[in-house]
Amino acid sequence: MEQIEKSERASMNRRSMLRFGALAAGVAGFPAILRAQTKELVIGGAASHKPWMDSHVIPMFEKKYSCKILYEGTRSTINLEKMRAAKDKPMMSVIQMDDPVMIQAVEEKLIEKLPAAQIPNLSKLRASAIHMDGMWANYQAPWSGLAYNTKSLASGVPSWTTMWEPRMKGKVALPSLQNTDGPWALYMAAHLETGKPLKDAQYDFEAGFKKLRTLKSSLLTIYTNLPQSFNLLEQGEAWIHGTFSSYALLRKQAGAPVDLSAPKEGIFAMPSGICLVANAPNKDLATAYINEMLSAQLQAELTPLTYSLPTNLDAPSTVTLPAGVEVFAPDWGWFTKNRTMLVERWDREMAI
Amino acid sequence: MIAAMRRIDPLAWLAVPATAYLAFAFALPLGLLLVKSVWTADGFTLASYVKFFADPFSWRVLTNTLKIAFLVTLVTLLLGYPVAFALAMSRGWLQVMLLVAMILPLSIGAVVKAFSWQIVLRRDGVVNRFLEWTGLIDEPVRFLFTETGLVLGAANIFLPFMVLPIYSVVRLIDPRLSEAAATLGAGPVYGFLRITAILSLPGVVAGIAFVFSLSISMYVIPSLLIGDRYQLLATLTGRSFLFLRNETLGSTVAVILLIIAIAVVMVSSYLSNRLRSAR
Repeated sequence: MEQIEKSERASMNRRSMLRFGALAAGVAGFPAILRAQTKELVIGGAASHKPWMDSHVIPMFEKKYSCKILYEGTRSTINLEKMRAAKDKPMMSVIQMDDPVMIQAVEEKLIEKLPAAQIPNLSKLRASAIHMDGMWANYQAPWSGLAYNTKSLASGVPSWTTMWEPRMKGKVALPSLQNTDGPWALYMAAHLETGKPLKDAQYDFEAGFKKLRTLKSSLLTIYTNLPQSFNLLEQGEAWIHGTFSSYALLRKQAGAPVDLSAPKEGIFAMPSGICLVANAPNKDLATAYINEMLSAQLQAELTPLTYSLPTNLDAPSTVTLPAGVEVFAPDWGWFTKNRTMLVERWDREMAI
Repeated sequence: MIAAMRRIDPLAWLAVPATAYLAFAFALPLGLLLVKSVWTADGFTLASYVKFFADPFSWRVLTNTLKIAFLVTLVTLLLGYPVAFALAMSRGWLQVMLLVAMILPLSIGAVVKAFSWQIVLRRDGVVNRFLEWTGLIDEPVRFLFTETGLVLGAANIFLPFMVLPIYSVVRLIDPRLSEAAATLGAGPVYGFLRITAILSLPGVVAGIAFVFSLSISMYVIPSLLIGDRYQLLATLTGRSFLFLRNETLGSTVAVILLIIAIAVVMVSSYLSNRLRSAR
């Protein structure tokens, strides 16, 4: 009897051990199984794009391709830095960023040419939306003007000179030169100072800084984080806020007391680009994603969400550019070459 | 060698894991930073330091950093010193409540607190409303994105680091000393200044060292409360690495910041020792 009990105990111990072993193997192996089943695609993009990426693009793509998208919303220059840091073994596969930063990425060989065979929608874009022989393409084209708080400025911002009015003391928030829409204030200041057309004034940064120095009393802040700074406009702390349609009009649609003006001197084109990271992981999934972003169907769906013009010729647009004002597209090549010098100068000139 | 190792207190081995971790995760990166600031493609050079100190903008950044750190330390000391005494002298549930009120905010991140201060400092925020209610101002004053706003916000965030070291010293001061002074004819102010205040100085020195070191190296708080127009050494370091791609400048600024922080700690340590020996 005692022998049987001993044997049972031994057998139970063995069974318990086997059970425990199986459980441990299951627990240890589970993440690997998960990884094998779900592909992950890491996409870098603008922080301000996160709302419509989260609500629309990501759920659609994850469902269609049975994958998981990790969207890292930050500034284009930060995404560029991330690409540099992980050049040999990139984490991100696709980056959505602005044209001037794309030029830097191309020069540093951080991105590779978009493969036309895997991205058939490239052939359906307007020619001006494909850059440097297909290194990147624009998936949308927002426009940039001056956003304003509708409770504080019911009649909007008719002119860029409104920012210099005495009543605007401490009420203006402008983007830093680190941001893609940062140069607009500098270009417009040069235009107002010299009277030259924007296409010539953009190179006259001395005149621009001279005029901007007289704007310092109007400045509440110079921002690098758009969503965070835009709160100041919505709360009435700022009255005027430099920004673009794909963010300001989205906030207006959400019920915020803001609107976007197209001042008489002109507005700026802000093409949003998409690129494939060099040596990107999950390249098939990455090219499929880029193809989706360039498709007529998705662009037509995004247009009312982002208040941007589509770039696919087959995509109908419900958004139109403001009429009667110049839409200026700057020389990004010149700006990219001189960006560091301009930022250092900006830091000194605009400091408190 | 073996004999020398035997002479080491066995308890000292307990510090080995933490020392190894700090050496790898803290000392090594700092060493690399220092090397980066003096080593270029042409070899060893101090050119980056010469360039930094020759630039008037650098002096402005340095002055901003020291000025803000000094003001934040001063405000936390003025606010924190009486709080530390209240904490030390209270008993029972009141002391528990005060301690919780002091320690609980430490569990909230600096980013959240800085965002909260953005709301508090607005033109229609609590500070402006209170000042208008008291009649001190007729119309809202701008605090947001000003030095005042930054000092107020940072002082709030760093206040526990001033209060707790002072409290830990004050609670050990023997209350009979004040009683003895009183029986010998000392008035309350004289007794406080000549006995209690002097005995609390080691806590004050430690608090100043903590808050000053934290204030000169803060990055997120100034970014949120005063923005890019007011450059500090820490924000300039981040900017140099992340945006300007000027690693030499970033390393140089970081080393200068580190030297200031080490100097503060060493001076405060020296003062603490002096005060201890004077007692």
